[in-house]
Amino acid sequence: MALNYDFEWGLLLENPHKEWIIEGLAHTVGLSLTAWVIALIIGILIGTIRMTQSPLLRFIGTAYVEFFRNIPLLVQLFIWFFVFPLMLPNDLMFAWNRLPHVPLITALLALSLFTAARVAEHIRAGISSIPKGQFDAARSSGLTQVQMYRHVIIPYAFRVMIPTITSEFLTVFKNSALTLTIGVAEITGAAKAIEAWSFHGIEAYTVASVTYMTTTAIVVLFMSWLEHRLRIPGLIARK
Amino acid sequence: MSNLLVDVRELNLWYGKYKALDNINTSFTAGKCVVICGPSGSGKSSLLRCVNRLEEFQEGDVLFEGQSLRECTNIASLRSEIGMVFQHFELYPHMSILDNITLAPRYAKKKSKPDAEAHAYVLMERVGITDQALKYPAELSGGQQQRAAIARALALEPKLMLFDEPTSALDPEMIVEVLRVMRDLAMEGMAMLVVTHEMGFAREVSDEIIFMDEGKIIERKNTEDFFSNPNSKRVQDFLDRILVKI
Repeated sequence: MALNYDFEWGLLLENPHKEWIIEGLAHTVGLSLTAWVIALIIGILIGTIRMTQSPLLRFIGTAYVEFFRNIPLLVQLFIWFFVFPLMLPNDLMFAWNRLPHVPLITALLALSLFTAARVAEHIRAGISSIPKGQFDAARSSGLTQVQMYRHVIIPYAFRVMIPTITSEFLTVFKNSALTLTIGVAEITGAAKAIEAWSFHGIEAYTVASVTYMTTTAIVVLFMSWLEHRLRIPGLIARK
Repeated sequence: MSNLLVDVRELNLWYGKYKALDNINTSFTAGKCVVICGPSGSGKSSLLRCVNRLEEFQEGDVLFEGQSLRECTNIASLRSEIGMVFQHFELYPHMSILDNITLAPRYAKKKSKPDAEAHAYVLMERVGITDQALKYPAELSGGQQQRAAIARALALEPKLMLFDEPTSALDPEMIVEVLRVMRDLAMEGMAMLVVTHEMGFAREVSDEIIFMDEGKIIERKNTEDFFSNPNSKRVQDFLDRILVKI
């Protein structure tokens, strides 16, 4: 049976399709990158406090990770979108609902906090892999806890973790597709809209797939460049 | 005594149920080099690590220049008065030698970067690694790394230097270059506490020797007496075992 389908790649460059694609691309890349940066900052913080000697900080860190890691991202998106505003006091809820781009903000919040929990776990594993003597050396030289983590432990752990951080980054990108469920016009949503409007699903989803693959390829290239740049001379043998 | 530097009082340390230090009472004065020796597991390193509270001891106290470590609320500041050198060097692998040496002066001692670097070059000159300033630790030989680690500790301008088996991870020809740096330090009057098995160094350089076993100080004597007439049978046995006889 021959494929009964008329390819019309040109329609992707016609409006409204073109506009949707551009908007979708901008949302996917913007959302993922922003979520990633926020997730890194929160994740490093949470991952680090789980390694400190303070039981309270460790408890906060563990509670955070277990909460955000063990609820599916889709459910978290719905909770932030449907439940969270209801839990706000009335005036705050109205203010929240009047914000521009509520779906986008909600998506950013959900994606960042979810990813941060995963980053925190990687950071914790990275920190655990650092020889105990490094902590001794830093502490014995009079550095405070914060200085020790800031200058010695985190930069060292980060280098060890670049490959894991990279794959987590790719996950954020792909997870961002879920945000179409709360109305974010990202690239998968754009593909869906084009398909519904024109019945040209193959072209539409090809654009979405190529977007994800190209973006992730760029990220992988950038991260291996970064890994090479940050490699510790003499220690990690890579050309 | 005015030049009392470290005063250890009824110090007890446990690792879980294992008692690592058993009621240690001793003191160290400025300008003296004291070697701590004894069989492995005798508590030498534990004692050393209590002097800057890297180990949190459960009982007793250590006074550094009269300041109680137990009651000290700013332990970081107190630690920056004491340099420490480790068996496995523990240089920061992601930093150049220069950055390794200037890190603590800049952040713990709030020195400006140019000041810290100028001082670092003086210290590197002193331990003979000036050419390695911009290299990374893994690009150096073991002996060079340990000398860099000594320079890093000296950069604190410490009142006391702690050495925790500084030559145990080194090849014989590199041991000599590290011991020379340590000898020069001792001769300049740096207060030093050295945990080591290098009895040649102990004999030549140290002022006093402490012998430990099972978490206790068995004997403490000035160096000459320690070798010529050790009191206890345990010290004699130890010396017989450790001093290679041909």
